[in-house]
Amino acid sequence: MGARAKDLLGRVGWYVREVMGENAYDHYVEHARRQHPDAPVLSRREFERQRMDEQAQKPQNRCC
Amino acid sequence: MSPRQIAIWSAVAILGAVAWGIIALVRGEHINAVWLIFAALCSYAIAYRFYARFIANRVLGVDDRRATPAERLDNAKDFQPTDRRVLFGHHFAAIAGAGPLVGPVLAAQMGYLPGTIWIIVGVIFGGAVQDMVTLFFSMRRDGKSLGQMAREEIGPFGGAAALVAVLSIMIILLAVLALVVVNALANSPWGTFSIAMTIPIALFMGFYLRVLRPGRVIETTVIGVALLLLVIVLGGLVENSSLAAAFTLSPETLVFWLVVYGFAASVLPVWMLLAPRDYLSTFMKVGTIALLALGILLTRPVMVNQAVTKFAGNGQGPVFAGALFPFVFITIACGALSGFHSLIASGTTPKMIEKESQVRLIGYGAMLTESFVAVMALIAACIIEPGLYYAMNAPAGVLGTTVQSASKAVAGFGFTISPAQLTAAAAAVHEKTLVARTGGAPTLAVGMSEIFSGIFGGDALKAFWYHFAIMFEALFILTTVDAGTRVGRFMLQDTLGNVWKPLRRTSWWPGVWATSAVIVGAWGYFLYTGVTNPLGGINQLFPLFGISNQLLAAVALTVATTILIKSGRLKYVWVTAVPLFWDAIVTLTASWQKVFSADTKVGFFAQRAKFQTALDAGKVLPPAKSLDQMREVVTNSTVDGVLAAFFAILIVVILVDAVRVWAATLGGRREPVLAETPPEPSKLWAPAGLIPTADERAYLAEAKRGDTEPALTGSAGQRVVKEE
Repeated sequence: MGARAKDLLGRVGWYVREVMGENAYDHYVEHARRQHPDAPVLSRREFERQRMDEQAQKPQNRCC
Repeated sequence: MSPRQIAIWSAVAILGAVAWGIIALVRGEHINAVWLIFAALCSYAIAYRFYARFIANRVLGVDDRRATPAERLDNAKDFQPTDRRVLFGHHFAAIAGAGPLVGPVLAAQMGYLPGTIWIIVGVIFGGAVQDMVTLFFSMRRDGKSLGQMAREEIGPFGGAAALVAVLSIMIILLAVLALVVVNALANSPWGTFSIAMTIPIALFMGFYLRVLRPGRVIETTVIGVALLLLVIVLGGLVENSSLAAAFTLSPETLVFWLVVYGFAASVLPVWMLLAPRDYLSTFMKVGTIALLALGILLTRPVMVNQAVTKFAGNGQGPVFAGALFPFVFITIACGALSGFHSLIASGTTPKMIEKESQVRLIGYGAMLTESFVAVMALIAACIIEPGLYYAMNAPAGVLGTTVQSASKAVAGFGFTISPAQLTAAAAAVHEKTLVARTGGAPTLAVGMSEIFSGIFGGDALKAFWYHFAIMFEALFILTTVDAGTRVGRFMLQDTLGNVWKPLRRTSWWPGVWATSAVIVGAWGYFLYTGVTNPLGGINQLFPLFGISNQLLAAVALTVATTILIKSGRLKYVWVTAVPLFWDAIVTLTASWQKVFSADTKVGFFAQRAKFQTALDAGKVLPPAKSLDQMREVVTNSTVDGVLAAFFAILIVVILVDAVRVWAATLGGRREPVLAETPPEPSKLWAPAGLIPTADERAYLAEAKRGDTEPALTGSAGQRVVKEE
């Protein structure tokens, strides 16, 4: 596989992970480390649970 | 502009003009659908490049030195600077649904020309503008909702009217969308089985994501989609097995199950059902839309529908009654101008946008994409033989139940299809019948199976593609129904919570159950009347849906116009005031005709009077078959008529309240107070458009080398440097 194809695949992969929210935990860790360096960081399981439960309280509308 | 750019844009303009010329002027022979695609894409490109840019820079005055709420309030949750391309994906997935697929299919009864013009012109000057300005104004107010903005910028009265408008449109929207699903699945064991199986699939995905592999969304979705394709294939086997009877459901039974489903989805935790279904439906939606675009370009089908049919002028069309003006503009809402989008544009999107200038890509650009979906749906409906189109879309009461009666009725409309052809068309997609499969979804599915089987599989796979298309539509309609019921429940809890506090608590089960029951009960009522109405549910309810959607657009455009006036941008006020004026005229005319027209096909109260008079005389009028059905028609027409009047009154209330504010501001009697958040300097940097410009790339390169000191301190800034 050429370098360009690999690069393209990488970009597509990045896009899919971002759009689907697969990277949400990584962003959270990055944010937590930067903003509150001393506070403990949630595990992925705890974080995903919390994220989903918050979504339950703020359902997003889907259009017609 | 450089000479090269001038040359490129001139070429785009010429190609667009030629395409428009062919669509509008060629008569007597069928044109190729590709011309519609060219006309649309060239028009969008020019509008995005010039008009959207003008709105962003001059009218709104986007300012990238100013921090967005995502940057200021970043909490790594709802406020979070998000890459523009990712946010575009989120926003598009939230605004695009069944609307742009259904409306154009129904509007095809007027021919392809009126629909095409409205979809393209409407989105450029109406829908995309509305989405973009609403997104911008909400972003400048920390992501406030449309209702809150209406209250703050217009007044408590207008605000309350806006809230009522939002709740009532949700009810009608959910009922009409659910009706589309019922009509697509009724007596179809293949479709019903596949859709029913999405529930266990979603439950499994939910469990997998919650317990087994937290956060692994992609692999969960891949498994889900694989299972989904499997159940579509299995549906074909179920249809011929002893299980078929269990999945052959009458419309009334389907209504019951949909209501139960909506209630369950509203009270169950979202991780069980709602979230995994959302992943599935988004994936299917984007995938199928891409496939459809590819299919049209590869097969280049011919438009067999007329450019303008006689129903455009005489208003006697069987699919929905009423003349071209105003009813094409009501029927095609999503795809041209959809008020519902203003709820999304003032929801999560403004809290995630990185830079102010990106409202053009995300607000205007995503809406252009949705409009393109509508153009493709219109194409799919117009490549079907008109005879088949009318046999599928006229109400059952008019067509009768047999292929013979349908063939005769279609001949009465002035088109031809033989009973044998109708039987063959149904057999080709493994349906018992295609007669009176109203709602648009089956028609679109026939058109899509035509296109897809032209590339993959030929006639052998026609039935698979048909059911694939049905599944895809039903799946995301049901996602709208369950998310909408939940949103409606929260809105109701919030509103009633003002009166009685405990109702607001989302953990208090009696309150949750009661408010959920009210919401499903409300849309369930309209759904049931739609299914049983002898006059045809789509025929009666779709105009109400269109009116309520355009009513919401009027609210959004009124808020935007008010803000433009209050912020002293009177010379640009036409940008929102012209579409508002048009939208108000269309909606009020449609409501007026629906309430006062003496034509019993159009006016609800004329309809009511006709059936009431006959009922008093003990007579049964067709299409009703019994006195009970007569009573049903009378009740439905009354309720629908009252609703049409109610929507018109709401628009007038909001407009009058806003005009009062405009007059006071312009007359200098009131110091304009804007509820905008004070500016704070931004430390983030990101490109404005989809593809970074040469300047932006140069800037990024400098930033990477560390030659300049761009203030790239935030998370999104770093991400941008990494990813570009």
